[in-house]
Amino acid sequence: MEQTQVRRPPRALSPQRLVLFVFMFAALAYPWVFRLPFQRRLMVVVLLYAMLGQAWNILGGYTGQVSLGHAVFFGIGAYTSTLLHLKLGVTPWIGLPAAGLVAALVSQFVGYPCFRLKGHYFVIATIVLAQIVQALFTNWDWAGGALGLRLPLLPESLLNFQFFSTKLPYYYISLALLAIVLAVTYLLEGSKAGYYFRAIKEDPDAARSLGVDITSYKMLAMAISAFFTGVGGAFYAQFVLYIDPESVLAFKTSVLIMLIAVVGGIGTLWGPVLGAFILIPLSEFTRVALGGAGRALDLVVYGILITLVAVFEPRGLWALGERIKALVARR
Amino acid sequence: MTLLRIGGITKRFGGLEANKGIEFDVEQGTIIGLIGPNGAGKTTLFNCVTGFYAPDDGKVVFDELDITGWPPHRVCRAGIARTFQTVRPFAQMTVLENVMVGGLLRHRQTAASRTAAMEVLEFTGLASRQSMFAKNLTIADKKRMEVARALATGPRLLMLDEAMAGLTPKETQEAVDLILRLRARGVTILLVEHVMEVVMPISHRIVVLDYGQKIAEGPPQEIANDERVIQAYLGGRYRAPS
Amino acid sequence: MLQQIPQVVLSGLLNGFIYALVAVGLTLIYGVMDIVNFAHGEFLMLSMYVVFWLYTLVHLDPIFSLPISVLVLFIVGALTHKLVVRRVLKAPMSAQIFATFGLMVFLQSAAQFLWSPNYRLIKEPLLSGRISLLGLSLGKPQLVAAVGALLATGFVYWFIERTETGRALQAVAEDQEAASLMGINSDRIFTLAWGIAAACVGVAGALLANYYYIFPTVGTVFVLMAFVTVALGGFGSVPGALIAGVIMGVVETLAGLLISPAYKQVVVFALYMVVVLVRPQGLLGEW
Repeated sequence: MEQTQVRRPPRALSPQRLVLFVFMFAALAYPWVFRLPFQRRLMVVVLLYAMLGQAWNILGGYTGQVSLGHAVFFGIGAYTSTLLHLKLGVTPWIGLPAAGLVAALVSQFVGYPCFRLKGHYFVIATIVLAQIVQALFTNWDWAGGALGLRLPLLPESLLNFQFFSTKLPYYYISLALLAIVLAVTYLLEGSKAGYYFRAIKEDPDAARSLGVDITSYKMLAMAISAFFTGVGGAFYAQFVLYIDPESVLAFKTSVLIMLIAVVGGIGTLWGPVLGAFILIPLSEFTRVALGGAGRALDLVVYGILITLVAVFEPRGLWALGERIKALVARR
Repeated sequence: MTLLRIGGITKRFGGLEANKGIEFDVEQGTIIGLIGPNGAGKTTLFNCVTGFYAPDDGKVVFDELDITGWPPHRVCRAGIARTFQTVRPFAQMTVLENVMVGGLLRHRQTAASRTAAMEVLEFTGLASRQSMFAKNLTIADKKRMEVARALATGPRLLMLDEAMAGLTPKETQEAVDLILRLRARGVTILLVEHVMEVVMPISHRIVVLDYGQKIAEGPPQEIANDERVIQAYLGGRYRAPS
Repeated sequence: MLQQIPQVVLSGLLNGFIYALVAVGLTLIYGVMDIVNFAHGEFLMLSMYVVFWLYTLVHLDPIFSLPISVLVLFIVGALTHKLVVRRVLKAPMSAQIFATFGLMVFLQSAAQFLWSPNYRLIKEPLLSGRISLLGLSLGKPQLVAAVGALLATGFVYWFIERTETGRALQAVAEDQEAASLMGINSDRIFTLAWGIAAACVGVAGALLANYYYIFPTVGTVFVLMAFVTVALGGFGSVPGALIAGVIMGVVETLAGLLISPAYKQVVVFALYMVVVLVRPQGLLGEW
């Protein structure tokens, strides 16, 4: 039994830990170094999408169920907290977890029919369901219809989840959300569910033969994924204070969430973070450089990038980094 | 004691009857060889027993429990593990992780599953390959790993689908040794094999399928000299090695 | 409302043939190589722009630019296979999805970048006006488009079923290894399949350009319908695509009339969910 591979207790300051601490410090210090509102706003969006990408990754990357309908969970999260606030006066602080729970609940209804389908049928079913949900919300007058919902401006305070003079609180809230999702993913990786997720991705029939109830575990992955996507949607609604079906439920939202994970690296802990750090600023800078929206140059680049990743390194840029690291180490 | 009772299994695909009322028992602690020419319905029967197909008719009774039509994961939990004719490793996972997936059926904690998996790897002689990615193993080792993975689920019955097809004589001998040691551990084994020469010497009983039907059943010696078997399956090419 | 039904069914029928032709391209590629081309709608969009620019720049009517559109799209399809798809044939399914999906994002946004998101229309095509038939009024361009789409679908079917090359295509779809033993170069067959598939929307786009708005995301409108059509008809089946396309067209317009125009797509998509759950292989597909 000498060969048993046990995770060595990490030394107080292994190189990995050092890097992690440096990044944590950098993340905490960022808004104090970059004080301009646009710099802080940009990083809030990066952190939000890193979180959304990782949430997608739990289902799409680790479990291998490629969803092109995550806008459903994002949108439902955004609508849940917003409607709770507008109709019942519920504080966004309760709205945030409630959004996650509603999204997770909806995911179980979405998952049940979708998971009976394989491969391409599954992907298309997720697109189709998202279209249905978007059409329903667009025609649902109580929920604002096509015009959407505007959150009332309240006095700036932590309690009201609204901040105007400084974006600082939004920054730390989004950072905390990302940290939570990363921690959950990390714990999942080493857990029974994490092993089962990967087994399902690699070969569902082999997994079933080893006693894995694949439908239940796919549903679990879907619920976790949808929960955090819904929380992200609620945060987005609080951050922008205006939502409509086009901005939170449209296909392009599903696409962007998926892109973050795919370009960064599916099935990895840090891939989606990397993806968000590349794609979001890229999009912002091309928009600024070209002036005005509608030119979509960022999407041109995204499109090329994702095709290149699929062709040359389907495991994403994170894996590319690891390959380079291995090359350097060999020297 | 009868561990597995296959009672009149029938499975149709469209107009084709892949299994026609197949019936036999597997006694606890024995090795049963299931043979027959290509397309005889061996793998279909495997899939019916392990829940990958729902039989159209008939019953599967395991340890006095009617498991007919149970989904594969419940069949596995009940104590039947299987391997596949074409290997199905979790390619991007290491050998140890592959086996741990099996181990997690009886262990909630990954640490406990890892210990159990290591024990199985030692037993199957794969310990030195534990941190290799499954996709990088040789065919023989992949097959061995599938047995290890199945074994890690703690089965009472192990169903091996052509575990020795495509192996060199030396690898085949190693596989045979492993099967014999498995049985010594108390695991009952149902062996589908195309290569008869390997099945005959180690099986207690042989069941022969042809065109979806059972055409003979008995001890190897009897089967090898059974005219029907020789006619239908062997075409007279094979004689008992005695 | 009831007296409108024949009129609505008819226009749904006409739309259905276009859906069918778009779907045939998708189903062909899927049938031959098990890949879903997410950029298929963008191919359609490209074809519409080809026709539009030929009309705007050299005043070539869509009727005459149709062959050019077909040729351009054939080349686009073949190149897509040569440059992208061929490299992911052995990759996991997710990589295959991402590859054509990236292409979709790229083409759509490149069109937006180069040609602006504005809606364009071919203002004075030769084909215009309406005709009356048994008391029903029909747009001439719609009628021509439907007939053209039906002919093109029929041609593809004939090509696959009756020609030597078509049989080679089927052989590759059936069993790539066996086909290569028979001396069939599967890579060439794949390239051809992509060419034909894209040429299908080359026809559809040119026909549509006579009466439909042209804009960068126009492909999405049709390709979503085509996905559903393909899944409904069964991946890989040309007759299935035709039948399903017609069903989709009629159901869509009927739902628009009887329920509400806002829900017509919802009804079609709901139909899809019901079909794939009850019969996952589609109406005529093999699972």
